[in-house]
Amino acid sequence: MSESKESKPRQDGQIRIGVYVCHCGLNIAGSVDCGEVAKFAATLPNVVLAQDNRYTCSDQGQAGIKKDIQEQKLNRVVVASCSPRLHEPTFRKACEDAGLNKYLFEMANIREHCSWVHLYDKEAATEKAKDLVKMAVAKVALLEPEDEVSVPITRKALVIGGGVAGIQAALDLADTGYKVYLVEKEPSIGGMMARIDKTFPTMDCSICILAPKMSDAGHHPNIELLTNSEVAEVKGYIGNFHVKVLRKPRYVTKDCSACGECVKVCPIVAPNEFDVGLAVRHGVYTPFAQAVPSTYIIDMSLCLNKEGVIVCDKCTKACERQAISFEMKPVTEELEVGTIIVATGADVFDPSVLPNYGYGKIANVITTLEFERLINAGGPSGGHLIRPSDKQIPKRVAFVQCVGSRSARSGRLYCSNVCCMNTIKDSLLIKEHWPDTEIYVFYVDIRAYGKGFEDLYKRARNAGVVFIRGLPAEIVEDKKTHNVWLIGENTLRKEVYRISADMAILSIGLEARKDSETIQRLLTLSRNQDGFFLEAHPKLRPVDAATAGVFFAGCAESPKDIKDSVTQASAAAARAGILMAKGQVTVEAITPTLFPEKCKVCGLCVKVCPYNAISLNKDLKRVEIIEAACGGCGTCAAECNFGALTQKHFTDEQIMAQIDAITENEAEKKIVAFCCNWCSYAGADFAGVSRMQYPPNARIIRTMCSGRVAQKFVERAFARGVASVLVSGCHLGDCHYINANYQTQKRVERLWKKMEQNGLDKQRLQLLWASAAEGEKFASKMREMKTIVENVKPEEIEKGKKVFATALEGD
Amino acid sequence: MPERIRHAPLDLEQFKPAKAEIHLIKDECKGCGYCIEFCPKKVLEESDEINARGVHPPKVVDEDKCIICSFCSAVCPDFAIFVVEKKNKEGK
Repeated sequence: MSESKESKPRQDGQIRIGVYVCHCGLNIAGSVDCGEVAKFAATLPNVVLAQDNRYTCSDQGQAGIKKDIQEQKLNRVVVASCSPRLHEPTFRKACEDAGLNKYLFEMANIREHCSWVHLYDKEAATEKAKDLVKMAVAKVALLEPEDEVSVPITRKALVIGGGVAGIQAALDLADTGYKVYLVEKEPSIGGMMARIDKTFPTMDCSICILAPKMSDAGHHPNIELLTNSEVAEVKGYIGNFHVKVLRKPRYVTKDCSACGECVKVCPIVAPNEFDVGLAVRHGVYTPFAQAVPSTYIIDMSLCLNKEGVIVCDKCTKACERQAISFEMKPVTEELEVGTIIVATGADVFDPSVLPNYGYGKIANVITTLEFERLINAGGPSGGHLIRPSDKQIPKRVAFVQCVGSRSARSGRLYCSNVCCMNTIKDSLLIKEHWPDTEIYVFYVDIRAYGKGFEDLYKRARNAGVVFIRGLPAEIVEDKKTHNVWLIGENTLRKEVYRISADMAILSIGLEARKDSETIQRLLTLSRNQDGFFLEAHPKLRPVDAATAGVFFAGCAESPKDIKDSVTQASAAAARAGILMAKGQVTVEAITPTLFPEKCKVCGLCVKVCPYNAISLNKDLKRVEIIEAACGGCGTCAAECNFGALTQKHFTDEQIMAQIDAITENEAEKKIVAFCCNWCSYAGADFAGVSRMQYPPNARIIRTMCSGRVAQKFVERAFARGVASVLVSGCHLGDCHYINANYQTQKRVERLWKKMEQNGLDKQRLQLLWASAAEGEKFASKMREMKTIVENVKPEEIEKGKKVFATALEGD
Repeated sequence: MPERIRHAPLDLEQFKPAKAEIHLIKDECKGCGYCIEFCPKKVLEESDEINARGVHPPKVVDEDKCIICSFCSAVCPDFAIFVVEKKNKEGK
């Protein structure tokens, strides 16, 4: 339950604000006159101390703040430096150490949002920095001390995905002593690594090094394997996730001794997915010899026994241990876990979408994944590289690189990281078995960046593998011999090549899992433009998800090789372990505050809450808030028409004060931009980090979610004569707060309608969905909005002031 | 595993299932149609001919599809159908 505001002790006495303007070396001071900004800050109300220093985040800088808090009796602190997404925790801690409640600290982002994006306009950047400091000072004066609720953490973990990353993470956590549930949707753990023949650069046998780990995971007393299972629901929050896992029936019980007698009698055959369809399996099967668990499984989509009618009982009869049961039903397991590791891996690119390579039409064009199964001694051809058309060993083999990587045509702009080295390894494998084979590798760039990679590349070249720069424009089939012709341009020699080969192997890239959207929705994660999950910080929190208590391992986060996957898995396990070892976590005090005397019990807030954290008690005629379930988006506060709800640390008054600070002078040249912490604010940060230059009109107000932006904020901005307003958030469906940004959309649409009805130019209010990776999108929006600002006439601004005049009431 | 399968299994020929020989004792059939209904591979259908009991017995549409589960014999109330494996393993 949330207590009403009256019961909270207000900070006594006079407000004393200290402002610290950071040079960040020349990162800020290079384009902002920090001394002038500090001088300006000293003139602002309640500011008792303003100074500029080289590195505020250094020990010295922090010590200075601590000293001033104690000696100068500061009770509010503003640091104007980098993004709060980077150093807010640092300075909050410094305040706390000096005995100041950390919620009495505010940051002005004059680096990512100012100096870095206005590198060549020192005057405008300095003016903007002053505004940003003014906004922070206005807000900080209204901040209140808050107490954080601490929540216990369940000392159990869930690992989603049983590839090498998931196995490693599960083993590390289990060895630390925590109970781990390892969920895998396939019948066996092992993932992609189990299907690969050898690993680069050491040429170890992949399954030989993986199988012991799989077996360890299968037998570990702290690991519970849930194979053939999928996560169906995740509720709760850090430390207290309630997870529902759907266990699909295997129709074979644990009594199975994996003798394989059932397989011999099963009359059904189908392509084995594990071998990319190059070998057959039966209706009852095990995907591969080293599968863990070794229990067989019946594929019900093929089995003759449907809907409980036992038509064929051959396997049942053949099974000595009577391990086959057609009675098994899907079971939903309910798990309580404290942390979750997402190790869902990646899919491979399907090259049949590129018609010029003829994959799927030309028999002797295969993918590297098919190659792995062919060259594997346990594979369908017993380790013989044979071409599909006549099952002969090819004499001339061509590898084509970057199929589904680094190309707009395939829609995959990123480098898949593993294909270059994989091809080099594959070419050496061929040379090892059949030294006379001629091998051509068509590439764009060979990226041999890792430890031992260059050596392997050199070995391949010394072995006679021919590397030709320039991908083939097309692959055509010789209808008689079924050989392939590769035609393209050698870009080093500036000449056209036309090379014949017995078979072509497409080095396919990795892509985000087709079902990553499901995981994204279940765990409220973000994804980058390539579809991979987005980490909380690309440098300093590379395995943390934006959702607290969730971590990434392996290719789910980005394409990576086995070594990197294992490294990341151990890192994720360590991060999860830290939380569980602590045993409790504090939840940020950004939950709603209810003013019961203003509440009309209309129930609008109940409807918009994405977490069902607000309920309507009809008997007592009141609204009740479950603080622990609250995600902290603030959309309830934005929805309340009576001012009965506000969000702690992002109150109406605080945001209004920021708007007022922006619009105090030259409002007609400015943009009030509302950005959500997770996507668009991070996107603006990314634009800064990438030094994308855009016009300096905008002043960004950070909210946790765009759903916090109440209509009255926008109205207030227009009533104060601002030229333009931007509301921005995560892409619809990517909201960090499940679906709160749909409310944003509704509110902006309502505002547009209101503007239209009153004859206002609705262009002045812009809505932008931008992810944390879309810095360029944010920057180009800024450029676009500059022309909007320039074209807004004074009459239009006056009209806006009149239309929204009611928004100024209550001053 | 989500990859689309593009090539036929290389070892498909090794897995040619045993050929079936379906025997119908047509005059025993009373035309209940259970065998037709329950055959998982839809090997049987009703024929046009009329047997001694004045009903349409089933006929074999595609013997190659039969996987010798013998469920037809199990459900036939009149013991009018049975399946055996073809003895000659050399060919058709």
